[in-house]
Amino acid sequence: MSVRASITDGPLPPALLGEAAAGVGAFIVFEGLVRPREGDAAITALDYTTYDPMAERQLLDLARDICQRFALLTLHVQHSRGRVPVGACSFRLTIHAAHRKEALAAMDEFIDRLKRDVPIWKKPVA
Amino acid sequence: MTVRVLLFGPEAAAARSDALTMDVPAGSTADAVKAAIAGACPALSPLLPAARLAVNSAFARGDQPINPGDEVALIGLVSGG
Repeated sequence: MSVRASITDGPLPPALLGEAAAGVGAFIVFEGLVRPREGDAAITALDYTTYDPMAERQLLDLARDICQRFALLTLHVQHSRGRVPVGACSFRLTIHAAHRKEALAAMDEFIDRLKRDVPIWKKPVA
Repeated sequence: MTVRVLLFGPEAAAARSDALTMDVPAGSTADAVKAAIAGACPALSPLLPAARLAVNSAFARGDQPINPGDEVALIGLVSGG
């Protein structure tokens, strides 16, 4: 089981997919991109604030919990801090699992819990 | 004892500050400190029901005592991901 969590200043660089771990039957990469609108307003970017070190610690704890509960092979999560322009990637979740079902369920629960518990905030930039 | 509560996101905007300093009785619990925030900064009152206290970078139980020197943060609705 391989788990990694990191917070990076600015937009996330393109994903480095690497080689699949042994036994992988399902490989998911979810990327969250900054949309051009927040509610009714057009924006140019989002500014992300993080409460360090709790944000990275919570991401890592969440990653370990999800990886263990869904018996994943790997779970890597990256999130941005600071300014991310429209169209750029601010969040990436990469999962390797033996089967599709647990990979998709793990991704869904991870994102729900991140949006509830991890101290990261976004602020729109006009 | 003096407690400094870090603020972020909507809470920092409402309080117009990134921290709130207040005096609470020694041995106060997380719940007591959270309740005291409303008195110290009424602008935060509407946000408190959805907020949790973190102590030393971990969410605190309501009955957890706050010790001098603890890093305390008010974590409201987050918006990552």
